[in-house]
Amino acid sequence: MSADMLVGLGLMVPELILIATALVLLLVARRVKGTQVPLALTVAGALSSAWFAGAASCAEAITGFGGMIVQDGYSQFFKVLIAMALLLGALLSVSSVKRDEIPRGEFHALLLLATAGMMISVSALDLLTLYLGLELTTLCSYVLVGIRVDRKSSNEAAIKYFLMGSFASAVLLMGISLIYGLTGSTEFTAIATALSGGAAQSGPLLGLAVGLVAAGLAFKVAAVPFHAWAPDAYEGAAAPVAAFMASGPKAAGLAALGRVSLVALGGASELLTTILLILAGASIVLGSVIALSQTNMKRLLAYSSIAHAGYALLGLGAGTSAGATATMTYAFFYVFMTLGAFGMVVALGKRGRNLDGYRGLAEQRPLAAACMLLFLLALTGIPLTAGFTAKFVVILAAVEAGHVALAVLAVLCSVVSAFVYMRVAVLMYMSPASESAPERFPVSVSAAIALAALVVLVGGILPGSLAPWAVFP
Amino acid sequence: MSEYAGIAVFFVLAAGIVAAMLILFSSLGTKNPTPEKMAPFECGVDPIALPTGKLTVRFYLVAILFILFDVELVFLYPWAVIYRDLGMLGLVEMGVFLGILVVGFVYAWDNGALEWK
Repeated sequence: MSADMLVGLGLMVPELILIATALVLLLVARRVKGTQVPLALTVAGALSSAWFAGAASCAEAITGFGGMIVQDGYSQFFKVLIAMALLLGALLSVSSVKRDEIPRGEFHALLLLATAGMMISVSALDLLTLYLGLELTTLCSYVLVGIRVDRKSSNEAAIKYFLMGSFASAVLLMGISLIYGLTGSTEFTAIATALSGGAAQSGPLLGLAVGLVAAGLAFKVAAVPFHAWAPDAYEGAAAPVAAFMASGPKAAGLAALGRVSLVALGGASELLTTILLILAGASIVLGSVIALSQTNMKRLLAYSSIAHAGYALLGLGAGTSAGATATMTYAFFYVFMTLGAFGMVVALGKRGRNLDGYRGLAEQRPLAAACMLLFLLALTGIPLTAGFTAKFVVILAAVEAGHVALAVLAVLCSVVSAFVYMRVAVLMYMSPASESAPERFPVSVSAAIALAALVVLVGGILPGSLAPWAVFP
Repeated sequence: MSEYAGIAVFFVLAAGIVAAMLILFSSLGTKNPTPEKMAPFECGVDPIALPTGKLTVRFYLVAILFILFDVELVFLYPWAVIYRDLGMLGLVEMGVFLGILVVGFVYAWDNGALEWK
């Protein structure tokens, strides 16, 4: 008992660091006036948990707490990625926290707790642990979206997100309970054994259970038709919160979906991959097309993130570990691309809100415009950026699994999305400035954007640099 | 299933008798309303406000704090029942759990949740 507990706690060191930091921040919240101390604590927490997660030996999978959580290459990869998302999200938040007078301690504590939840869900080996982690993340996200309490738009976004999010959580729980009823367990391996045993192999009830679980998780990654909350929530939230929500929780949701579909529900894979491919196709088409009509930058990036969720699901839809590896790669580069693009929205402040604000940015701030251009190219999927590497691997996975039509659709929608992103680039480079030059970016915001740009560049020029880590065990 | 049949019969009978009485009273009974009979009947005087009244929104904080201790108790009861079997480890675990809850409580206290402003 005690030894197993120590092993389990050892596996959870990255999460424990984040939770401890969050608790300390809550205790001193009232005495914290500046942004420096909470930011420093969050950055230290993110870096140390990334280090502990990355330094752990993952040659073989170690389970803890009686098979509730696992430490393997998959969880390690996503834990480091999620810690990076926290790091960049926290760095981006500086100016916004100051301007909107967001309570400092609470804001950073919520970021840390949400990250801990994501880490728990990516290392879950049991449906209940998975649910617990995802729920911790979403509960913190609801508050983060509505943390600017004096703004009506923020309140509205939080309420919408909360109502739809709790509905999705209920759907997920319903699916989990049906799976428990069919297989007699919530543990992934036990579910897989029961499903391959044939007793609960087919039947409408299994279809319903798998569908409900997939729907609940699809909500977390904002895949069509479970995407309606994302544009409203991102628009109402402060820009750094939107950046964080579009990156970390989405990666965690993809990780959870990947493990559930490949490990637990492998016995029902035919049905599940069909569902995932439908979700992927719908997300890619709708996300790309609706983004065309957006004039608000956060909404545009929200629809872009919906389309990207679709691309990432292509890999999982292949239903193989090669496909899951492709999704891991996609999630990694997507996090940095989207954090970078949102980072520019944060950096430009009021001006970054609408597309018109980007007019003539290249003349006023050539370096900032170049960074934005890089992120836009990456989001489109142009070669020599990480976006191309990411799209290449998932579309390749789809083709190898025999879904050629869907791969063609994905490429065509890529062309449509090029129009979306290039519209911003054209405004930056080919129209005269209508507003005065933006003020100097805070150092931490610049650092976060530079880090994201570096990853996007390196991932594009040396596409294999990530390959040793992004492997589904 | 058959052992539950009695309960079902009971429910049907209860509902049937109540419905029959209501219908018989309203159809057979004589009605002779006067203003006095129609007046609201609550402690003999006209009500001046909703009987349940309105609660100030400040109670939401009290409700949240109540949930904090409520959840704590839900965990403490089963823990206390098997405390001897858990031993030292159980004590430490509960200490950690209570510690985290106390951090939340201290936060609320620190931020004036207990002041009736």
